[in-house]
Amino acid sequence: MQELSRILYAEDQIDIQQVAILALETVGDFTVKTCNSGLEATIAIDDFKPQLLLFDVMMPDMDGPTALLKIREMPDYKDTPAIFMTAKVQSNEVQSYLDMGAIAVIAKPFDPMTLASEIQEIWQRSQQ
Amino acid sequence: MTQDPDNVDIQVALQQLKIAFIDKIPAKLTEIKEIWQTLKSKPEDVEISQLLHRLTHTLAGTAATFKLDELAECAREIENALQSFSTSTNTSLADIEIESLLGSLSNAALNTTTGPITNIEQTDVPKVSKVIPTIDVNKNNLVYLIDDDDDFSHTICMQIQTFGYQVQSFNNLSAFNKALNLQEPAVVIMDVMFGESKTSGIDYIAKLNKDRDVPLQTIFITGSHDIETRLNAVRANGFAYFTKPVLMTSLVNALDKLSFKVEDSPYSVLIVDDSATQSKHAALTLQQAGMKTREVNDPLLLLNTLSEFTPDLILMDVYMPNCTGLELSQVIRQMENYVSTPIVFLSSEDDLGKKLGALSLGGDDFLTKPVKPWHLVSAVSSRALRARMVRKLAETDGLTGLLNHSKSKECLKNELARAKRENTPLAFAMLDLDFFKKINDTYGHPTGDCVLKSIANLFKQRLRKYDIVGRYGGEEFVIILPNTDLEAAKKLINVIRARFSKLVHYSEEKDFCCTFSCGIAAFPDFSSETSISDEADKALYQAKSAGRNQVICARK
Repeated sequence: MQELSRILYAEDQIDIQQVAILALETVGDFTVKTCNSGLEATIAIDDFKPQLLLFDVMMPDMDGPTALLKIREMPDYKDTPAIFMTAKVQSNEVQSYLDMGAIAVIAKPFDPMTLASEIQEIWQRSQQ
Repeated sequence: MTQDPDNVDIQVALQQLKIAFIDKIPAKLTEIKEIWQTLKSKPEDVEISQLLHRLTHTLAGTAATFKLDELAECAREIENALQSFSTSTNTSLADIEIESLLGSLSNAALNTTTGPITNIEQTDVPKVSKVIPTIDVNKNNLVYLIDDDDDFSHTICMQIQTFGYQVQSFNNLSAFNKALNLQEPAVVIMDVMFGESKTSGIDYIAKLNKDRDVPLQTIFITGSHDIETRLNAVRANGFAYFTKPVLMTSLVNALDKLSFKVEDSPYSVLIVDDSATQSKHAALTLQQAGMKTREVNDPLLLLNTLSEFTPDLILMDVYMPNCTGLELSQVIRQMENYVSTPIVFLSSEDDLGKKLGALSLGGDDFLTKPVKPWHLVSAVSSRALRARMVRKLAETDGLTGLLNHSKSKECLKNELARAKRENTPLAFAMLDLDFFKKINDTYGHPTGDCVLKSIANLFKQRLRKYDIVGRYGGEEFVIILPNTDLEAAKKLINVIRARFSKLVHYSEEKDFCCTFSCGIAAFPDFSSETSISDEADKALYQAKSAGRNQVICARK
């Protein structure tokens, strides 16, 4: 099984970004590339070559779902596992993200001490 | 209270992010309010409406991330209200709603505190003015007893129950196993010679523990003394080991040790440093490790703070204006109450000679700045722990584990001061066992001691975490109930009284019951230590003369 290390993370809120970076880099020991919008993520992806996409849903300049659809059009990343983060976790909404090809939806607010292990678990499940 | 070093560093970093965010909240609120004003004048402007929606959405999300729940909730409500605002035809009604929500948002912003983001346990006394007496039954009182001698099991069960334990006995392993899967006990009492071989009870527990993350807390009982069996018992995580005939007091002592391992209150640390930034930093670091802190930036105000905040440890900067940390530590050491409070110096001083000089003047340790957060936490917590152990020995009654007379009095003084400061009620109860001398005379002192222990256990199990119980002397006890008025206290103690009166105590001659009488006085009816304890004592006397086994309240 492939070890997870590179995560492409998109979130427009700088305060939340900082908490997540701490959670992912310091607690989880992942390598993280942070983008401020979905659009930035679609541009940064080729240089960074992530193993996993972690996108906030609501962002200006291109929301998470739209960014994922764009990325799915790129041959190299059509299967890269994606996780959405959102505060609105209604079951029909979650289902629509899963239908788009996301492997999981993480509820906000997340716990910075357990976010990394939660992602690690999701990753391991997706690799089986 | 131990955490790993990385964790503490992360908590500190998170805390700093949170403070940075809190600093930005006023600007965010102003922006939201301004845009709302614009939107009110142009309700059809979709762009402005979307902008406001996004601003409240992100404020809600970020506030929630930093566990500022009230702020997050208010922002979320505005976000939702905006949705109906944009679809509504009756905008004036939506106007009013949003305006009022904006008001709540501003209030919530004022209430933000820098508490920890993740779930560190807060054991502060809840600040409610009136507490309904919730009886906090210690859930951790289930004991499983495995023994194939039914007579022995029966006797032990009956007796242990007197001390507030719920006991279930098993004479076969499969029934025990089934129960274990259904409910975890606090303690297992296992007969070593259960089954065929000399140590099969131990072997069985060892086998169970192999598959468990947390070993079963086990007390072994046996007829054999040999060292090999005892060693095996220790290896199977046996906490205690008794040979038959088992002395009830020893067995109950062991049970108490295992099941009252309730979490201690957080360490409290007093930080003395003339630089507010430095003391804040140390305070945040220690708070992240779950400790309570108080900062003093003017050394001359130290004594005022000490009068209302009793620290487990004092963390002190060496170089301060007006007086040095070394002088201050000598002052502290001359005060009787703080002779044993550890003092840890904090300074950029690197000179070993000076450090040693500081220690000889009453300091306990010397940390050189800058101190790594984890180093600070571990230096403070290990010293605080030891100081607490020493203090506990001096402050508690050996037989019952309750506070002794002088400590109880000190607690009453402190709690009364707190009640006055916070303007909350406080009840003080004095209890005395009825006809206790007769019990001692009839059944002997060891039996009397068992009765005292059983009532102490009942208090520990039935009272709330922040209630204070002391053994005032002989068969007399006091209970301090913070945040509790007279009526609530009466209800609470009456429940305990009824329960205690039904407990059956055992002696070699015969089984018997015992009761207590109680008098309660409360603040604000009585406001000095002397008046509150005198009045409670008078009420107790009335309860005695009115026929005992009752609770009487002192009225003004």
